[in-house]
Amino acid sequence: MKNLFTIGLPSKGRLKESTLNYLKKKNFKLTSKGGDRDYFANLNNLPNVKVIYLHAREIIERLGDGTLDLGISGLDLLYESAVNLQKKIEVKKKLYFGKATLVVAVPNDWIDVQTVADLEEISFYFRDKKNLRLRVATKYPNLTNKFFTTKGVTQYKIVLSLGATETYPFTGSSEVITDITSSGSTLKANNLRVLKDGSILRSQACILASKKSLLDIKKKRIIKLF
Amino acid sequence: MKSKNYSKKILKVFKKRGFIFSEPDVLLDSNYIIQRSGESFKKLMLTFEDDNGKNMCLRPDLTIASCVKYLEENSKGKSKIYYSGQAYRRSNNSRDSIVNDQLGLEIIGSKNRTLDNKEIINTILKAIKAIKIKKIIVNVGDVSLFRQLIESLRIPERWKLRLIRHFWRPKYFEDLLNRLGTNSDIDPIAIDFDKRRFSKMKKLDQNQEIAGRKISEILSRFDKKISDPRSFTEGKKTAKIIREFLKINNPIDQMEESLKNFLQKYNIKKNVIKNELPIKSLSKSGYKVIFSTNFGRNIEYYTGMVFEISVAKNKQEIARGGRYDNLLKSLGSNKNIFAVGAAINLNNLSRTIK
Repeated sequence: MKNLFTIGLPSKGRLKESTLNYLKKKNFKLTSKGGDRDYFANLNNLPNVKVIYLHAREIIERLGDGTLDLGISGLDLLYESAVNLQKKIEVKKKLYFGKATLVVAVPNDWIDVQTVADLEEISFYFRDKKNLRLRVATKYPNLTNKFFTTKGVTQYKIVLSLGATETYPFTGSSEVITDITSSGSTLKANNLRVLKDGSILRSQACILASKKSLLDIKKKRIIKLF
Repeated sequence: MKSKNYSKKILKVFKKRGFIFSEPDVLLDSNYIIQRSGESFKKLMLTFEDDNGKNMCLRPDLTIASCVKYLEENSKGKSKIYYSGQAYRRSNNSRDSIVNDQLGLEIIGSKNRTLDNKEIINTILKAIKAIKIKKIIVNVGDVSLFRQLIESLRIPERWKLRLIRHFWRPKYFEDLLNRLGTNSDIDPIAIDFDKRRFSKMKKLDQNQEIAGRKISEILSRFDKKISDPRSFTEGKKTAKIIREFLKINNPIDQMEESLKNFLQKYNIKKNVIKNELPIKSLSKSGYKVIFSTNFGRNIEYYTGMVFEISVAKNKQEIARGGRYDNLLKSLGSNKNIFAVGAAINLNNLSRTIK
């Protein structure tokens, strides 16, 4: 029985480091034949388990399509993914690391904007007086749309961002942003401030399992080990 | 009677009353719709990108498509049109069909609002009579009454605008009323801090822009906001008046009386509220006609009279319409063009007459 069970782990950054620490504490030992750059690894004490290092977003996708049985990724990325993917994934455990909040931030100098209600007013001003829609740069369009809809903000346009979202309001690419932040220092350093009621989602790293794998008794037994 | 047959009968009524056939485009520039309805409506539309990267959509609504046509053809003056076609949009309700067959009419560019309102409603009622549906309920409202009431209340200007903007989103509107009646939307600690920044920013070039907004614009709004506080008791009273107003619901012939009583109770001047509903004609229509101030809150572009007709036995809605005086301007016209229209939903009609 070869490679019966597949686990996806974050391939870089702090999330990878914390994940490896977590596994170490659980007495799992990871070995890769090709050294640090190898995207595959094995778990010494579980010969039938294959580990793949993937982008945290990709882990969600692969859990959804059944390529992975188990994965460690962020709650934010799970909730941002398509609804049909979310339906196929179960959150098994919330971990103590990777804590961050998805927030709405505006330029510091917009001193008249403190709440989402202010932002809503500004968005109508943009539409009525400037014939433009307020642009919101984000890596999280789905969560942003859901949040704004419940808060009554409708007159805006999403600008998809792949990184350095904090720069968007100052390069003319958007007026406001939503972004994930753990301490808020990057936002502050970039002259942005979080709205008083602008917290969209509190996120953290999680152990996620494919619901299909949970139906398999052997796989379920392995999932329980994490 | 088959769907095709009652289509014929309905269209015959439309034609007889002087409406001219017009076929609006099936494909529209998505921006037309998104600019008007916002990002949240986007997911209900069926869109694609054309070869030039332009985002197009199948018409989600024949009224908007008819208005776009009116503007594209540079039409001037009064236009009385009817259409027979399909609207394509997803629904939040999975049971609803994506394709909706509609027969509708619009009067665009005419200034005689009361008369036009009457003509649209009467034509639809005639058409329904022609297909022999006898027991119907007509729900009618006038969303402009709410706007007129808000204008007359003593609350900060930005709260007036906020309530008017969100009238058509009942759930969020209720949140707003709760906030109006309970807490302040100004945070004193943050305001103190920002006042210092305010003084600093006053010394800068006022035309300088920060993320698309001029400094002068930011400071002026800040100033207005902090000098525009409202008292909790006043807010509570206002919220109560609004809630009471939205409870008015009675047969059309009692409408004027109940509005009068309401205004008297809250000491609001009588001439504050004027309506353009064809009250007499509706009272004499022989149908059950219910007036409600809370009715018509589900479509953003209505500005005045709104109505909906449903079959009495199963409450199935078969027609709806209303006045939309700002729509053409929001679609690009440089002046206000008044308009009113209605449509019969053939899918619902066939469901009813099985």
